Amino acid sequence: MTTTTIEPLDPLIHVPARLRILVTLAALNEGDTLSFTRLQNMLDLTPGNLITHLRKLEDARYLRTEKVWDGNGLATTVTLTTRGRAALDAYTEALRNLLGGLTS
Amino acid sequence: MDPKDAAQILEQAQRQARRQFDPQPPVAVVVGAAFVFLFGYGAVWWSIRDQHPYSSGPALWSLGVLYGLIAVSAIAGTVIYNRAQSGVSGRASRQRQIQGIAIGAAGIGAWVVEGALRYRGVSFEIVYGVYGPTVPLIALAAAAAGINAVKESWLQLGVCIGIIAVASVSTFFGPLGAWGLTGLGGCLVLLAYATALVVLQRRSSDVRI
Repeated sequence: MTTTTIEPLDPLIHVPARLRILVTLAALNEGDTLSFTRLQNMLDLTPGNLITHLRKLEDARYLRTEKVWDGNGLATTVTLTTRGRAALDAYTEALRNLLGGLTS
Repeated sequence: MDPKDAAQILEQAQRQARRQFDPQPPVAVVVGAAFVFLFGYGAVWWSIRDQHPYSSGPALWSLGVLYGLIAVSAIAGTVIYNRAQSGVSGRASRQRQIQGIAIGAAGIGAWVVEGALRYRGVSFEIVYGVYGPTVPLIALAAAAAGINAVKESWLQLGVCIGIIAVASVSTFFGPLGAWGLTGLGGCLVLLAYATALVVLQRRSSDVRI
């Protein structure tokens, strides 16, 4: 009899808003950054809510936020780190295995 | 959160992000560009169709239609691109701007040569009837083809090669062929591209994790 080990889902990512944040940032090309305002508009979250989730992800070094001068004032930009991209890939793989296990 | 719900959120977020960031033109814009070829080049072809031999060149109204359509198409493309890239910055974003400069330089070079040919006394028929509608287009498409080859964007590379093929072969048929066949062929290549985009979009919406 063969047994397959199902990896647990990363609890930091396994929250709807944080999952959407990482997936949205992962859709950008590696090396690109996204403004806080655009991210907020895309996800339809309040600024406070978004900041809370970004802090948690930044603490885990899944993303990096920076204050940059955009001509009108200081703007916050968000970048997915290599570690964050790898964590999202691992989460997707674990989810695929888990759902495969549920359906079979 | 239930894993099935997580999978659904993941798929929806991926689809939404892809749609919003995608700098590729939506199908409607590709179809619009196809009609720019058909009606823009077609208008010039229409205005010169009775010139045997080629003498006075295109009527002013036909050039107005051609450049008017090109301007509308360029503005629409720029607006769509800027909307997709709003708030996005960084290395890849800068690379796209540099690619734009490379394509622009190819076009400007071809137009400068057109002026030089006329200056050196090459006939009106060759410079404005054959070179004008084809060579700048070939230069722009060749630059875009190089960029798409590096990015391994095979579909877009195919479109560029299709346009180069149509424009270069049409030069064998003189001014009427250069304007008429390039217009018709360019339109057909872009309509085929639009069809492929629709098929790919349907397939990607069926993707499950």
